[in-house]
Amino acid sequence: MLLHTFTGSFGKFISEIKPQQLSSVVLHRSKRMVLDSIGVGLIGSTTDVFELALQHSDDISSVYGRKNAKLSPTLAAFVNGVATHSMDFDDTWHPATHPSGAVLPAVLALGDMMPTNRKPSGLDFLLAFNVGIEIQGRLMRFSNEAHNIPKRFHPPTVVGTMGSAAACARLLSLDHSQCSHALAIAASLSGAPMANAATQSKPLHIANAARFGLEAALLASRGLKASPQVLDTVPGVAGFNAFYEDYVSRPLGSPSDDGHMFLLEEQDMAFKRFPAHLGMHWVADAAASVHKHLVGFGHSTFSPAQIQDIQLRVPKSKYINRPFPESEHEARHSFQFNACSALLDGEVTVQSFTPAAMSRPELLALLSRVHVEHPDDNPANFNRMYGEVQVTLLGGDILRGRCDTFYGHWRNPLTDDSLRKKFRNNAGMVLSSEKIDRVIDVVDQLDRIENCSSLLSELQ
Amino acid sequence: MMSTLQRTIRPMWAVSLMHKSAVDVLKRPVPEETVTGSFGKFISEIKPQQLSSVVLHRSKRMVLDSIGVGLIGSTTDVFELALQHCQDMYAADDISSVYGRKNAKLSPTLAAFVNGVATHSMDFDDTWHPATHPSGAVLPAVLALGDMMPTNRKPSGLDFLLAFNVGIEIQGRLMRFSNEAHNIPKRFHPPTVVGTMGSAAACARLLSLDHSQCSHALAIAASLSGAPMANAATQSKPLHIANAARFGLEAALLASRGLKASPQVLDTVPGVAGFNAFYEDYVSRPLGSPSDDGHMFLLEEQDMAFKRFPAHLGMHWVADAAASVHKHLVGFGHSTFSPAQIQDIQLRVPKSKYINRPFPESEHEARHSFQFNACSALLDGEVTVQSFTPAAMSRPELLALLSRVHVEHPDDNPANFNRMYGEVQVTLLGGDILRGRCDTFYGHWRNPLTDDSLRKKFRNNAGMVLSSEKIDRVIDVVDQLDRIENCSSLLSELQ
Repeated sequence: MLLHTFTGSFGKFISEIKPQQLSSVVLHRSKRMVLDSIGVGLIGSTTDVFELALQHSDDISSVYGRKNAKLSPTLAAFVNGVATHSMDFDDTWHPATHPSGAVLPAVLALGDMMPTNRKPSGLDFLLAFNVGIEIQGRLMRFSNEAHNIPKRFHPPTVVGTMGSAAACARLLSLDHSQCSHALAIAASLSGAPMANAATQSKPLHIANAARFGLEAALLASRGLKASPQVLDTVPGVAGFNAFYEDYVSRPLGSPSDDGHMFLLEEQDMAFKRFPAHLGMHWVADAAASVHKHLVGFGHSTFSPAQIQDIQLRVPKSKYINRPFPESEHEARHSFQFNACSALLDGEVTVQSFTPAAMSRPELLALLSRVHVEHPDDNPANFNRMYGEVQVTLLGGDILRGRCDTFYGHWRNPLTDDSLRKKFRNNAGMVLSSEKIDRVIDVVDQLDRIENCSSLLSELQ
Repeated sequence: MMSTLQRTIRPMWAVSLMHKSAVDVLKRPVPEETVTGSFGKFISEIKPQQLSSVVLHRSKRMVLDSIGVGLIGSTTDVFELALQHCQDMYAADDISSVYGRKNAKLSPTLAAFVNGVATHSMDFDDTWHPATHPSGAVLPAVLALGDMMPTNRKPSGLDFLLAFNVGIEIQGRLMRFSNEAHNIPKRFHPPTVVGTMGSAAACARLLSLDHSQCSHALAIAASLSGAPMANAATQSKPLHIANAARFGLEAALLASRGLKASPQVLDTVPGVAGFNAFYEDYVSRPLGSPSDDGHMFLLEEQDMAFKRFPAHLGMHWVADAAASVHKHLVGFGHSTFSPAQIQDIQLRVPKSKYINRPFPESEHEARHSFQFNACSALLDGEVTVQSFTPAAMSRPELLALLSRVHVEHPDDNPANFNRMYGEVQVTLLGGDILRGRCDTFYGHWRNPLTDDSLRKKFRNNAGMVLSSEKIDRVIDVVDQLDRIENCSSLLSELQ
């Protein structure tokens, strides 16, 4: 194994990073991610696409929200990944990807697989999870194109698979060479085109990232080898850089030398308040403030007929620009739909995407009055975009709302209370309130509990 | 929340505005007008009668060869690793047969996986133009699916063969969407791009999905496609074919359950990458409706190359060139040929980094080394399965030859299986120069293996794991495949 390669440096990091190197900030932030991810997975287990995926496959690893349902580890990672992303309710990072859904289902499934008397501690588990997140962040920084809303490959399928492989390799205690090969094997299982985003298949992107990363780690643990330079730039032979136009790899510093700063320390996570693409949150918040004024503006109720025109100023991104979404999945990826829902109701919620809500005549009336502009100063970038909703009333009055940073964005994070509230709402669809309390407690204490079974046993 | 609200009062005047959004309703193309829709239609509607006798013959040769290389492949370490992984990590599911392992059965997608590993484990499987290994991505999947179907409702041999041909055809059509596909690839390993799609198409056909489900099977498969070239010439390469077979089957099964994905995955939609994510240049064309006229399968106009020894296709040119030099070396007044007499070996080959390896360190690397294959053929007069054993690879006389090789890349020698050549020039100590050149090796589509040669290769391969009676039966069944009533006659003979 060539240790002086970038690939080798990643392998070394994965195998050698120590739990003590998780700062308190990283511990706290990652526990928030674990809780949110479990919650969205639990509510996601009520969706049709989850049901479809579940019939598709061993009594080892637990299935979210389905008492006594267990599958072989990679299949459990798969269905739980489907659940996690089924409603586009899971976390989003910068540069853009959905990091937890690609990793947590895999490490949970792996945890279930391990012998009862040799389960990882909560801290080992949390470290593996963080390795999976860190690797994703490091890989995204190899490319500038990763900073904008993607065009070619859906990021969770590129870096998510690699993160899952890294996390599972760590949890399996593979040596540095095996860790590198796990990454290389995972690279051949990475990469799904964007066209399938905003279709019913999108959740399978996260699901397969989790599943294939776990599979890659398992194959590496059996001794399978792949390219020892998969992350390096080798002229004439594409490795991981096959997925990018611009790609510059950098080695990961050896964690043994100094401390290691996890990216999660410097770049926090966004958690969604409602189940839709992250971009929707800006227009929803902007529209919500317009709604407040519409309702308060001398009208006890607000009649859509009073609206002449709705102008949205949003970044240019074809796959979230859908004037008349025809499915729930499309609605979750439609600036127009989310703006109009928030204009009508003052907020967007889980219920906004039900068939009944989607087909409301008053909503369709509003949708037909929307037009979209893409100002030059509004880039398709989750760190810099904004959303503006401007409503012209029949009388000529104009109301404009603008949102630069929605509540839940990493610049304005959900409080722990808000996060727990979201979890309770989600988990409450399938778990008893006693179980819900236990999950919240266990995750809160995760770095201190002796045996991660305390978590594994509470998810169904 | 950092939102701001502004309110502006405008003068009141009634304006009737034609809103752009009302006019610019996003017109969703009807499936029949899309390339994706045309592929779905083709897969579901093509008829067995539209397989010409040439295509029947050629595809049966592919089926036989693919089974054979799969059977010998079942003796490799990487196959063992893959099989153990599947048996350990998944609950037992006794449905689909594993090549060469009596009574070993797995769930269908896992059987497709391990049989795909076997097929490509020695790089012994077929190669087409534009370049891919088409059969290994399809046959394991349709075999596994056949095993999955109820006993009293198995497809006929002709249905089976048609599904197989659909899988090959789709691969060929997709490769023609890009010029970059014509050369030895740089970014993505072609079996992982078009192979997965071909497998999905073949399985969708065998499952008798309707045209919409067939389109969605392709779209779901696109999200399971695409592995980087760096893993070629590593121990993981066989998993590329294996996963193409497995994921294509999985995509078809999910589509059969009603899962939907992008209805325009093969079309070019500005700003949203579909299948074209895997290519720099991409121009998609619809498949003509098979109901209108006849349909000409690509296999009719472009035959298949079968390998005579287990190595990358490019090796076959230098091996044949070196073999002719060997003949002269042995005959040239020397009853035996001593490597010490060789001063210098010059190879003139296309430029392709991943098959240019001066000192291969593993069997996999040796199968992807111009130098190794040229020197083996110089020494032995041929390259065979045995040339890649550890003993053969570490022979001092071979290493001595390897150290005298240097490689040139003439401008007129492109990295293209339709146009490349191989030249081996040996300078002897006395100053004599012997040069061999091969433009078309025996087994290339321009100079195809005879049916006899193909059967001989099959017997050698299958003989590693099957009894000679079974071998005879497989040969017969495949020969008659388009006429047998029930494909079980084939399914039951592979272990």
